[in-house]
Amino acid sequence: MSDFFHPIPSTIDLFGEGDLNGLDITQLGEYLEEKTHIPFRRRGNIYKRFSEEGIQVAAEKLARVRVRDPGKKYVSGIPFQAEVDYEKRRIRDPNWKIFGILYEGALYQKIISDLIFGSRLGLEHCSILFTNQLFGTWDRGNNRYHARVSLYGFPSLISITGLVVAPAKPKEFYLKKQMGTLMEWLKEEYQGRFLDHGDLRMTEVLKGYAVQALFFYLTGEPFCEDRDCRLFNSHWQEEVLHSQMDGQYEFCPRHESILKGLRERR
Amino acid sequence: MAVKKHIFTPVSEKEVTRAIVDAFARQFIEYVESDCLIIGGGPSGLMVGRDIALKGVKTLIVERNNYIGGGFWIGGYLMNKVTVREPGQKILEELGIPYEKAVKGLYVADGPHACSKLIAAACDAGVKFANMTIFDDVVLREGNQVCGAVVNWTPVNALPREITCVDPIALESKFVVDSTGHDACVVKKLEERGILKTIGFGAMWVEQSEDLVVEHTGEAHPGLIVTGMAVATTYGLPRMGPTFGAMLLSGRKGAQVILEKMKKK
Repeated sequence: MSDFFHPIPSTIDLFGEGDLNGLDITQLGEYLEEKTHIPFRRRGNIYKRFSEEGIQVAAEKLARVRVRDPGKKYVSGIPFQAEVDYEKRRIRDPNWKIFGILYEGALYQKIISDLIFGSRLGLEHCSILFTNQLFGTWDRGNNRYHARVSLYGFPSLISITGLVVAPAKPKEFYLKKQMGTLMEWLKEEYQGRFLDHGDLRMTEVLKGYAVQALFFYLTGEPFCEDRDCRLFNSHWQEEVLHSQMDGQYEFCPRHESILKGLRERR
Repeated sequence: MAVKKHIFTPVSEKEVTRAIVDAFARQFIEYVESDCLIIGGGPSGLMVGRDIALKGVKTLIVERNNYIGGGFWIGGYLMNKVTVREPGQKILEELGIPYEKAVKGLYVADGPHACSKLIAAACDAGVKFANMTIFDDVVLREGNQVCGAVVNWTPVNALPREITCVDPIALESKFVVDSTGHDACVVKKLEERGILKTIGFGAMWVEQSEDLVVEHTGEAHPGLIVTGMAVATTYGLPRMGPTFGAMLLSGRKGAQVILEKMKKK
C-alpha cells in the first residue's frame, strides 16, 4: 500500500500516566480496533514496575526537563531536591492528579521512550501514551513555548490536560477573565463550548487524536486540512469539538479510504 | 463646686515614652535569637507562625510594612473579598472566619475579617512581630546553613543613601522562612551570593498551580523553608488566580516541615 511508509503494527499499545480522569481507555482501544482491525493492548501505568532505583533515575530526568520560563528556550540545569521529590511522589502514585508543570515536549518524549522501549527501537507496535501532564514545544514564530495536546513519535504522547489547556477557548472568555471574572463563573457561562477536566466528551474526542497518532506511525503525516475530518489539526476548542464530534463525517474521503484499505489488509 | 474627675489616669509623656521603649526593648532583646524567623507577614507566613507557635516554637515575623497581612486584606482587583478553594475553607473554619459558598468547591470570605482573624490567631499563639523592618541579608554558618537574617528599619531604605548610612543588625534563628511572596527576597539573596539558583515564576496560568505551590513547599536550602508565592518564584511554577487556599495550606505545610526538623534536632 503506497500510503504507508511503515509496516502495519502488530498491536496498538495504550499506556497511561497519572489520573486519566474522563478517559475510557478500553472504549478508545475498541474504537481503534474497529477502525483499523489492529488489536489494541492496555499496557497500564508506565511506572508500575519501577524499582526504587528506577524511580530515582526517572524522577531526576523528569525534574530536569521542566520548562522554567515559557518565554525562554529550554536550558538544562540541576533540579532542586524538592522538584525531584515531587516527581518521585508523582511516579509512585498511579492516580496522581496534580498537573501544571510544563515539560519540554521532545525531551519528555525521549524519557518516556527510554522508559517504554529501553534499548529497543520499539517500532513493532504503535505505542501511545495518554498523560495528565502538560508538555509544550518551542514556537519559533513568537519565541515562546506553547502547551500541546499531542506530540507524535515513538511513542506518541497525548495530554488530556493539554486538551483542556492548549486549544484556545472563545475570545470573549479571555477578555472576561482579564477583567477579573472568576474562572468558575466563566465555566458556567461558556459551558459546552470547550472541554473541561473530567468532561464526558473526553473519550470521544481523544479517539480522533489516537487515530492521528496511528496515521503518524503509518504515514508520517498525522493531520488533514479538512476541518470536518478527525485528523484536523485544531487550534481552537470550538474546532476540536467540531472536527471530533460535529463534523460532516468522521474522516474525509481520502483518510476514510486509507482506513478501509487498512481493514482489508488485516 | 465639685472637681470634675478625669476619665483616664493622668500619666506624663515621659512615662508613655519609657513604656514604649522598655516594652519594645525587652521583646527585641528576647527575640534577637529565636527558633524561627519568618520573613514576610502575609497569609502563608502568618499561618506558619501560628501553627509552630502553638507548639511552643519561639517565632518572630519580620514585616517590611507597618501593617501585617500582605495581600490577604483584599482579593482580586482591589475588591475586599478573598476566595479559597476546597479544602482551604477548613482553615477558615478553624480560625473562626465566616465564609460562604460561591460555587461548588469555592468559598468567599470578607478580606478584613479573614486577615484580622489570622493575625489575631498568630498573636494568640505567641508569635511576635517586627514590623517596619526590612530583610537585608541572610546569616550563614558552616555549609552555608541559613541561621538568621540581617534586617534594618524599612524607612532607611526609602531615603537617599547619603542621609541614611545606617548599618543593619542581625537576628539569629534555627530556621528562616521565606514568605515574601513573588519577590522571594531570601531565596534571591542566596542567589546573589551564588549559593542557590532561582528559576523565576512561569507565565502560564494553570488552575492547578495552587496544588503545585503546596506540593513544592518545604526546605529549599539547609535552614531555609520557602512558603506561599515565594515557592512559585523559587521553582518557576505557573501563576495563579487570586485565591488564597494555597497560601494557607502552604503555610501549614511549611510549619509541619519545621516541626519535623525540630524533632530531629
